[in-house]
This record gives sequence, C-alpha cells and structure tokens, in this order.
Amino acid sequence: MSPPRLALWLAGLAAACLLLALWSLGVGSLSLSPARVWAALVAETPSREALVITTVRAPRVMAALAVGAALASAGAIMQRILRNPLAEPGLLGINAGAAFAMVLTAVLTGTAPRGTLIPAAMAGAAAASVLVWALGSAGRRGATPLRLVLAGVIVASFLVSLTQALLIFNLAALDGTRLWTAGSLAGIQPQELASVLPWIAAGLLAALAALPGLEIMGLEDDAARGLGIDPARWRLIAAAIVVLLTGGAVALAGPLAFLGLIVPHAIRLASGAGFRALLPLCALGGAALTLAADTLPRALAGTDIPVGITLALIGAPIFLWLARRQGVPG
Amino acid sequence: MKRLLTGLACLAVALFLAIALGEQPIPPRAVMAALLYPDEAPVQHVFIVHTLRLPRAVLAALVGAALGVAGTITQAVMRNPLAEPGLLGINGGAALAALAIMLWLPGTSATLVPAAALAGALAAATAIYALSWRGGIGPQRVILIGLGCGAFMGAGTSFLSAFGEVTAVQRAMLWLSGSFSGSGWRAVLGVALTLAPLLALAWIFARVLDLLAMDEAVARGLGLRVQAARAAMVAIGALLCGASVAAAGPVGFIGLMAPHLARRITGPTHAALIPAAALAGALLLLLADVAGQNVIAPNAIPAGIMAALMGAPFFAWLMWKGRHDG
Repeated sequence: MSPPRLALWLAGLAAACLLLALWSLGVGSLSLSPARVWAALVAETPSREALVITTVRAPRVMAALAVGAALASAGAIMQRILRNPLAEPGLLGINAGAAFAMVLTAVLTGTAPRGTLIPAAMAGAAAASVLVWALGSAGRRGATPLRLVLAGVIVASFLVSLTQALLIFNLAALDGTRLWTAGSLAGIQPQELASVLPWIAAGLLAALAALPGLEIMGLEDDAARGLGIDPARWRLIAAAIVVLLTGGAVALAGPLAFLGLIVPHAIRLASGAGFRALLPLCALGGAALTLAADTLPRALAGTDIPVGITLALIGAPIFLWLARRQGVPG
Repeated sequence: MKRLLTGLACLAVALFLAIALGEQPIPPRAVMAALLYPDEAPVQHVFIVHTLRLPRAVLAALVGAALGVAGTITQAVMRNPLAEPGLLGINGGAALAALAIMLWLPGTSATLVPAAALAGALAAATAIYALSWRGGIGPQRVILIGLGCGAFMGAGTSFLSAFGEVTAVQRAMLWLSGSFSGSGWRAVLGVALTLAPLLALAWIFARVLDLLAMDEAVARGLGLRVQAARAAMVAIGALLCGASVAAAGPVGFIGLMAPHLARRITGPTHAALIPAAALAGALLLLLADVAGQNVIAPNAIPAGIMAALMGAPFFAWLMWKGRHDG
C-alpha cells in the first residue's frame, strides 16, 4: 500500500470516527443535530446542551471508540501471530476468561464488575490465553487453526458455564451483571472510563511500537529467526499486548465477540493493506464500527440494545460468509 | 460381554448412589427395602425413592446415553475427535427457543418448553446443514458454520435475558445450565419412547459410521453414498441431542467425553462403540447429577454445570496427550 493511499485511508476512517461521534453525541432524549453538537462543544459559555454532552454522552462515545479500537487491533495481532484467519479474542476464549474473572471477583466482593476490576480482567484474560494456547498447540501438528479454535470454544464454554453457576445463586449479581455480560456500554461513568483508558492506550501504543516485530512473526518461525527475531519471545510480547487490549475492553464493555474477527478481514478485503498499514486502519475501523453499532439502535428505534448483541448480529453473518467463501476445504 | 456386564454393574451402582444420597440420605438397607418391598417400607422412604429420586436418576441416565451416542455420531461424521454435538448448533437453538417461551409465555412454560426446545434444536441443525452445503457438506466447514450460527443464537439468548424480568431470567438460567430438578415419571416415559428408536437406529447403522469415519475416498470406494449417509447420521444425532435438550436443557461435554471413554474400552468399531458410549454417557451424567446435588448441599449445582466442571479437565488431558490431531 503506497503512503499516499494509506494516508487517504487513515484520514477517511478518522473522519468517519469524528462524524459518527458528532452524530452519536446528539442521539438521546435531548435530540441534537451534529451541527448543534459542534456549536455546543465550541461555545464559550457552557450551555445545558454542552453539560449533557460532556457528562452523559461523551464517556459512552469515548468508551465505544476505545473498546472498538482495542478489540479490532487485538484481533489483527492474533491473526498475524497465530497465522490463523479465525483468531480473535472472543473465539479463542480470552473474552470469556476476563469476564469470568470479573464476575467471580464481583460476586466475592459484592462490587459492580465494570471498570473497577481491571486486575481481575487482565489476570483472567492472561490465564485463558495461556490455557487455550497450551491446549491448542499440544500435539504433533501443533496449533492448526481449527484445533486452536476448538480449544478456544471449549475453554470458553467451560468458563461461561462457570459464570452461570456463580450467577444462579446470586440474584443481585445476576441483575447487576447481565447487561454487562451481554456486552453493553449503557450508563458508563467518567471514572470507569478513566480507570480503563490508560491500559487500552498503553496496549495500542505498544502494538504500534512492536509493529516491525509483529509483522515478521507472520512468517514461519525459521524465517523469523533468520531475520533476527526470537519467536518465543515475540509470542510472549504479542500475548501481553493482546491481554492489555482485551482485558481493558472487557473491563469496560463486557465480552464483545466478532469485533476482532470481522474488522481485520473487512479492512484487508477493502484496502488490500499489508500488516503494518492494517493495524492502525483496524484500530480506526473497529472504533467506527463499535460506535455505529452502539448508536444505531438508539437512533433508529429509540431502544438501547447492548452493543455486544448488535455486533454479534452483524458479525455472525459475516463470519458465516467468510467460512463459506474462503475458507476451508472439505 | 464381560465388559458390557461390568459397565451395567457400574451403572447399577451409580443408580443406587443416586437414590441413596441427597438432602435426606437413606441407608442402603432402607433403599433396598423401599425398592423391593414398597408396601412394607416407611412411607416417606417410598415417596423419596419412587417419586423424587428414581425418576430423576433414570432420566439423567437416559439423557446421558443419548448424548453419548450423539457425540459418537458427531465425531464419526466430522472425522474430528474434538467435535461435540453442541457444535451442530443444537444447544444454541434449543436455548434460544426455550428462553423465548419462558420469558414471553410464563404460564404455559411447563408443557411448551420441551416442545419449543426440540423445535429450536432441529431448526438450528437444519440451518447449519443448509448453510454448510456447497455441493456436499464437509466436516471442517460444518464446524465453522456451527460456531458462527452458535454465536448468532447466543446473541439472541443474551438479548432476551438482558431485557427479561429478572426472576424469570433466573429460573430460565437454571434450565439453561442443564438441570434435572423436578423430573417425574411422565417425563421419563416420554423421553424413553423418543430415544429408544433413535438409539436403535444409531446402532443399526454402526457399519455406516465405521465407513464415514474413514477417509472419504475410501468410503466411496467401498460403495457408500457419502453425502446421503452423512445427512442421515447428522439427522439421527440432531434428533437424539434435541430430545435430550428438551428433557433437561443444554448439557455440554458429555457428548465429548463419553465416546472417548468408550473408545478406550472397545476400540473404534461402532457396533461395540455405540452401546459402550451410551453406557459411559449414562454413567457420567448420572454421576454429575449426584455430585451436583451433594457437593454443596443444600444448594444444588445443575447437572450441566457439573458435567462442564468434570469435562474441562478431561478435555485438557485429551489435548495434552497429543495423539489426536485436529
């Protein structure tokens, strides 16, 4: 991808994020046009509209952007490192690990899961990714795509039933977590956002800094070694970045599936970008998609559908199409 | 023959345990008395044994047997030892349909839920089969399409549970995690009548399963119409699994574990494998239910969750061993 073309794509996606944000800030019981939103934001005297926008709506918009960027980037990195077109945090059980650890902590300590339990989310994401990798790569042929996905699905279904077991006995926790476990950004608080944002930002920056190494890791191990890259070490680095991004995103919005799968594929198909260009494009594209999926039901029907559900309803058909189209022999 | 008898003896012991243990334990002698001479035994023992525990245990064993056989069929058709009948989308479809009925028609749920679950399971299996069809269905594509459809239906399920009335959602969660609580003889009879012909069919077609588990070219060379056979076997597996979901809610991992245990005992020939998998599945699910009722009594853990708790370490061991390549 030539530099001017990349710049054009980046600018286009960034502009899409900005326009979506202006639109999304105007959606709600006090309905505002994007122009009014802009006017309220830049006005010198704070108005009632500006207050609503900055205290109630802006945290949700920023959370959607951050979560989308984090999960889409995590998916792109995983697909590259594992050389597996189906890799993503949801299918490989990392989301479920973070979510289970957070629900467990919430039940034990009686707190709400969102935003406050980042260490639990990180630990759960890390433990699940180690487990899935260990199980999926054991064996003669190593981590074939299908094997890894099966390992992820089975670990995830185990963790989901453990989560269910915790919630069956605890009505208060069920009521407090069921929106979040479906993947929702409703009612996000500024302090929740502030406590998670640094982790996601750190993950994104680390991913950008590690781009050259991650790109080489897409080759066979021997080729990577020939280029002076230690595969075992870089797998660990990549895993740490994925855990930062996924743990942060799940802590904020719950386990969102499919985002990490469809965004990299869609961007690759549309732009033909190589990995180095793909990662920033994915971050912007994921942010835009998540914001759109979070806002659309409210704007069209006036109902607040959890963004995880909207994303799965969009993402699952695309996944099916991918699996049928390119896919898999036999 | 000797192995079959050992298996049956194990099952009998497990049934006995299931009857004796519980919130109010009954000593073995009293259990025998209540079973053999119900007219002379104390009334409360007879009630607990005949009305509460025996039907529940029999139902768990039946459902376990069905899941074991469904798992065997799935693994043969997919030619993948890690495949699970849940991958055919049956659990997801059943859960979605049953949850919708439970939340929208709360009064009628007791009779309608099993029917809705069965309908949902079959609809999902049909959809996955149709979506996987590209001039024939291939094992790998079915697994992926099953995953995608499962996620789609999972989104529907979480949508319903996020907006439903919270106590109704809690009751539904109990069903969704696979529970035998409150099952009576009528349920046992219905399930037995549904499952018996399907189990017999699976056993009759054991030769076909042997061929399907082989390389496709070999099977065709031996005169098997591979696509037709796959479709028939998937249908039997889906019906078995759908009937079990209707009886007890979605129960995972039994269909994964039972065939492996059975294969270690009988080897890969399906004529012996299918009865062994049925026995192993019955035993596993019965033990899961007994354990779930007694581990943290008086609270009961649903059998489906216990099965997952037992199944995950088993699965880990299976993958570690590294003999099975996927």
